[in-house]
Amino acid sequence: MIYDVTVIGAGAIGTSVAYHLCKKGFSVALIDRGDIASGSSSHCDAVALISDKAPGLDTKMGDASIRHYRELAESFSYDFEYDRKGCLYVCETEEELAAASSYAKRQAADGYDMKIVDAKTMREMEPYLADDLLGGIWTPGDIAVCPYKVCFAFVEEGKKLGLKVYPYTHISRIRLSANRMVEAVETDAGDILTKRVINCAGVWAPDVGKLVGLDIPIQPRKGMNLISEQTKRIVWHKVMEFGYMMSKFESINFRRNVSSLVEEYNVAFNIEYTKADNILLGGYRGFRGFDVRSELEAMQAIAERGIRFYPCLKGINCIRSYAGVRPYVKDHLPVVSAVDEVPGFYIAAGHEGDGICLSPITGKLMAQLVAGETTDFDIRRLRFSRFTEAQRTA
Amino acid sequence: MILEKDVVVIGAGPAGLAASIEAAKAGAGVLLVDLNLKAGGQLFKQIHKFFGSRAHYSGTRGYDIGRKLVREAESLKVDVWLQSTAVGVFPGNKVGIERILDGGVKKLYTVHGKAVIIATGASENAVCFKGWTRPGVMGAGAAQTMVNVNHVRPGKKIVMLGSGNVGLIVSYQLMQAGCDVLALVEAAPKIGGYAVHAAKISRAGVPIITSHTIVEALGDEKGTVRGAVIAKVDSHFQPISGTERTIECDTIAIAAGLRPVVDLTRLMNCASVFEPVFGGFIPLHNTDMETSVKGIYVAGDSTGVEEASVAMEEGRIAGTAAAQSLGYLSAAEAGKTKKLLWERVNSLRSGPFGERRLTAEKNLLEHFREEIREPQPEIMIGGLAHGAD
Repeated sequence: MIYDVTVIGAGAIGTSVAYHLCKKGFSVALIDRGDIASGSSSHCDAVALISDKAPGLDTKMGDASIRHYRELAESFSYDFEYDRKGCLYVCETEEELAAASSYAKRQAADGYDMKIVDAKTMREMEPYLADDLLGGIWTPGDIAVCPYKVCFAFVEEGKKLGLKVYPYTHISRIRLSANRMVEAVETDAGDILTKRVINCAGVWAPDVGKLVGLDIPIQPRKGMNLISEQTKRIVWHKVMEFGYMMSKFESINFRRNVSSLVEEYNVAFNIEYTKADNILLGGYRGFRGFDVRSELEAMQAIAERGIRFYPCLKGINCIRSYAGVRPYVKDHLPVVSAVDEVPGFYIAAGHEGDGICLSPITGKLMAQLVAGETTDFDIRRLRFSRFTEAQRTA
Repeated sequence: MILEKDVVVIGAGPAGLAASIEAAKAGAGVLLVDLNLKAGGQLFKQIHKFFGSRAHYSGTRGYDIGRKLVREAESLKVDVWLQSTAVGVFPGNKVGIERILDGGVKKLYTVHGKAVIIATGASENAVCFKGWTRPGVMGAGAAQTMVNVNHVRPGKKIVMLGSGNVGLIVSYQLMQAGCDVLALVEAAPKIGGYAVHAAKISRAGVPIITSHTIVEALGDEKGTVRGAVIAKVDSHFQPISGTERTIECDTIAIAAGLRPVVDLTRLMNCASVFEPVFGGFIPLHNTDMETSVKGIYVAGDSTGVEEASVAMEEGRIAGTAAAQSLGYLSAAEAGKTKKLLWERVNSLRSGPFGERRLTAEKNLLEHFREEIREPQPEIMIGGLAHGAD
């Protein structure tokens, strides 16, 4: 048989793309060199937020994705732990609060449910927060999901629609026809004949791109989290420091009054509870190639920053830490695009820390793209050709 | 702040102590860490006399060997941190150590070791029958620690599962401590350990019930063990329905073998293999006891479950090689010592059990020579990958 589409990569993006294509009636094969969700999608945190997005397209996609998550949670029989916990951004200084206010105002003007809360309200919402904080941004619609269960949910629901999954399958070659059209994916499980290939391999997308002669500028960026022992509830929402924006968008540059260790590891506090009553504490981002081993100083810096915002963490044990690599693109936008040079080859990758959040909408948009329909909104900025154009202008 | 040491040895059992002594003797600055209150590892619960040659302390009891090694390490100015847990080995040979200070305060130290010797020993295997998590079900090693180190009886009436040497010896020691061992249950059709140990407990009237296993630990109203349900097993070790009977007891000890503790070498991405003869997954090493990662050495049960005498020799090899790599010993001096030590290790691997280990060890060393060739330096970190940002 010849598949309509072969999706490479069974993480949050690939499984969603595969599911949404099945939903449109395409015959779909999903390949991964490991198991489902064995890469970045099981080495990350668990939230989907709009409150960490830049105003504009970024927020628009986030919002659409979160809405879509809600529909999926209602229609799927596979539970992926959808939890509308809301997100609270906390500010340490007047300067941060001023910046946060203008950010929240801008988002509210665009129609998003986001508002500034004062110190008193904030402490009612999160009584264990340090008592010197000035206020924050409250976004009630932000959610949490279990990232790897999201992947399994898409796969299980996709299977009901005929999705064929090839885990632990290694690709040796993507065969193109004489006129450079995608023809087959050659694997150690045999040749998979296909009309189209969608590269959803995240940080490994450049390796897949090489198979058809493409240079995809995605780099691995390491993220690390700590996990606490099970404990009584000390946190009720996703809580982050406004300085987190700083590590995400280098353009917004606040000077924080932090130790050299926190500075060196670019640590930005964020915390959430899990369904099993452990606390997830983050986070740090750094470029370390594909080395996902934990770093002791980074762990200490994360803990130090956590204790600054939740002093009671000092008495709670850390039982584990883990790191993963996020697919980083210099302009902080994912690639959701066809590739002009190779007819039948598409890319949906490069979501950095937003892959879990943007998984549903990316799948939906990609399915629209493949079906030749008009996409829900204008995604020209996500085109792959932006890199080659940039090269040409340079 | 990062502390600097020539050699950091993790685990103060026979392997770690021996490694520390050799490295310190050559002039290296050594830090030895262990999570327990006392150094010596399992030696302190080995109240029996060792077998073998004079060089291997034959005729000496385990705890006396432990005392001797601890004294020697102290006289060589080895820095010993007790109640100190190595929570991880991190990129750049950095060892994270959580130390309990006076007053119970915990403090985390980062120690950079030019060489790191991992001698974390082994842990006991569990057998997961119904009720295996009840209070009163424990490892045979834990029961042994209770009677021989802490002088506390784990219970009055004991059923032991597993008739290897640990099961046999611990049964005897529990009886010496005043416990009543009601039965020794063994799933295999014959006794696993040495006949001399089995004879001792048979003479004392303990029935050794072969081709049987424990299928359930019964609990009293508080959930504590009140009995062991045993059943006959078929040739595939499956319990045969209808053969169950209950032995009333308050303690079930499980002697189902040991497995190497390899968490730290796994954190460092050391190349590993599965070798049942040595108890499971183990890090590969060369004749210097160095793993696939340069500067990370292993010794003792953490690289294959064997006797304390082998652990000590492996520790000495690792300590000598680490000192050599830091320039404290010439290649000629170290080479001579290591050759002698390897001869002693090999002489310990004799007899039907030893032969299998000798062959397995040879294969592992060959595997290392062919596939790993040279220990590789650390994956470089700190620089930006592909010049990002």
